[in-house]
Amino acid sequence: MIEITNLAKKFGEVKALDGLSFTANDGEITGILGPNGAGKTTCLRTLYGLLKADTGSAIIDGIDVKEQPLLARTRLGIFPDKFGLYERLTAYEQIDYFASLHGLTGSNKKQAIEQVINDLEMQELAHRKTQGFSQGQRMKVTLAQALVHQPQNFVLDEPTRGLDVMSTRILRNYLNKFKEKGHCILFSSHVMQEVAALCDRVIIVANGKLAAQGTPTELCELAGESQLEDAFVKIIGSDEGVAA
Amino acid sequence: MIQFKALLGKEYKEAFRDKRALMVAMAMALLAPVMIFALSKTMIKEMVATPPIYVKVSGAEYAPKMMAQLKRANILLFSEVPEEDNYIWNERNIELTIPDNFAEDMIAGKTIDITLSTDYSEKAIRSPIRRIKNEINTYARLIGYKRLVVRGIDARLLRPIKIIEQDTAEPSSNAMIISMMLGLYLLMAAFMSGLSVAIDSSAGERERNVLEMLLCQPVSTLKIVLAKLCSASTISAMGVVLTLLLTSVSVSFVDLSKIGATFSLDAYSIFVIIVLLLPISFFASALQLFVSFQAKSFKEAQSTVSMIIMLPAMIPVALIFIDDKPAWLDWLPVSGQSLLMEDLFKNVPINWSEVLATGGVTIAMTVALVMVLARNLKSEKVVLALS
Repeated sequence: MIEITNLAKKFGEVKALDGLSFTANDGEITGILGPNGAGKTTCLRTLYGLLKADTGSAIIDGIDVKEQPLLARTRLGIFPDKFGLYERLTAYEQIDYFASLHGLTGSNKKQAIEQVINDLEMQELAHRKTQGFSQGQRMKVTLAQALVHQPQNFVLDEPTRGLDVMSTRILRNYLNKFKEKGHCILFSSHVMQEVAALCDRVIIVANGKLAAQGTPTELCELAGESQLEDAFVKIIGSDEGVAA
Repeated sequence: MIQFKALLGKEYKEAFRDKRALMVAMAMALLAPVMIFALSKTMIKEMVATPPIYVKVSGAEYAPKMMAQLKRANILLFSEVPEEDNYIWNERNIELTIPDNFAEDMIAGKTIDITLSTDYSEKAIRSPIRRIKNEINTYARLIGYKRLVVRGIDARLLRPIKIIEQDTAEPSSNAMIISMMLGLYLLMAAFMSGLSVAIDSSAGERERNVLEMLLCQPVSTLKIVLAKLCSASTISAMGVVLTLLLTSVSVSFVDLSKIGATFSLDAYSIFVIIVLLLPISFFASALQLFVSFQAKSFKEAQSTVSMIIMLPAMIPVALIFIDDKPAWLDWLPVSGQSLLMEDLFKNVPINWSEVLATGGVTIAMTVALVMVLARNLKSEKVVLALS
């Protein structure tokens, strides 16, 4: 479970986060939506413990990120906004590397790697060096290394960009499966249909604040629109925000 | 420990799979022995060979035996100079004047004054003058010895003391230049070999967007820095060892004693040099990592780090010009090792407490750099520079 409470962060004069609060529950996929510059990446980076909030707290499974960043990170699987690969390593070696960083060893590690490779259907890629991989293939490797240690909480920053339909479906099924198992999934995306189809709850962030939250249907009702996209535009367009 | 092993393993894999960077790193090691070999070869040739010297002799007819002796040493009369060298030797204008009473005074056992006149300040003339003086002195000494022997006196009485020379001079002789160059090369190898790995694993990773992901993992930044440091300094140390081994092979083909070199690259000196330079490898890599982590891009890192390479090149050269060296130079990184290597090449016994002191200071500075770097990697500034 991820609890963000009253998070505020200033960079000079710019208020990147202005008292943002939300909760992502276990067994749910929580979508985080917001226009560019709304503070999503700052919020997620605070969650990873890379940035320190001026006020407020980020708590993962009861662990305060500010106080115990390393312990909090063990509970996280991260698919970052910008990601790269170690191009001189094979896909398998990269996944192995991240598995080891999370403390997996021996047969447990091997099993976990095999598992994630099978789940994401990337057996053919596994033993190739990642140099020259397509965008979709790179995504898969990054996902695999974020998920190999079966973290309780997944944070995915636009994970479907560049994925083809088949891969998107694989990812969707994968996330649903983990939701069933009681994991907490925080998911940011710009693709409204995907958010509507996948997310149990949606959080809309604008100007560093929570603009609205609820199920996709609730948000549509709140804004009086039939499409999530229209609802989104309407909600972020209002200065006050529509609390739900 | 599992984490550190994984970090280190990954760094090594990346470093050793980057064949091109590795080749560039080791090029330094290959270049040094070739340069030193070529340099010593030419120096020996210059010093040992006896090209003809043409002297304007007046009164050669009064001392035919001495002239014959000079001729055997390839010191010839100016009248024999070939056309193409005429200008040079005329310009050099070495004149030897033999008095007409040479034979008379020789028989009477008086000291004969022979005049050798030329421009002594001219560098090119120094070697011919030395040879002429040596030959005449040898000839004169031989006659002196014969005179004593004829009178039943042991000629060794003339040499009550024999000096065994041990060179502790400032590096000026040719042999010293070679050993100084070797020292410089070794320091450069320590700084250059690990360079590409250091930049690639810091600024390179940032540019390829893998650093952020690594910083999001439950790993302390200290472990990350240490792993990167180990990998870069391993390559650097490899460069140093390779330079040393190849140089010791290549100088074994040259007889350095011909130019008065008193050092040899035996197992002991190789051992001492490695002990001296191992901390430097770590220090150089730490410094390079430190600088390239501050840089905003791979390119910026490359240009700033190149400045650091000037350090091993400048410091030993600067040291030559400092006559009264302050004591702290003995234990500062680079300068301390440089001075100790100089001692080693001059065959001065190594002061092990100085080795420990300079090594200790170097390692302490490395540790300080690592600590600051690990702290910096946690700072928001670094994270914000990620995108």
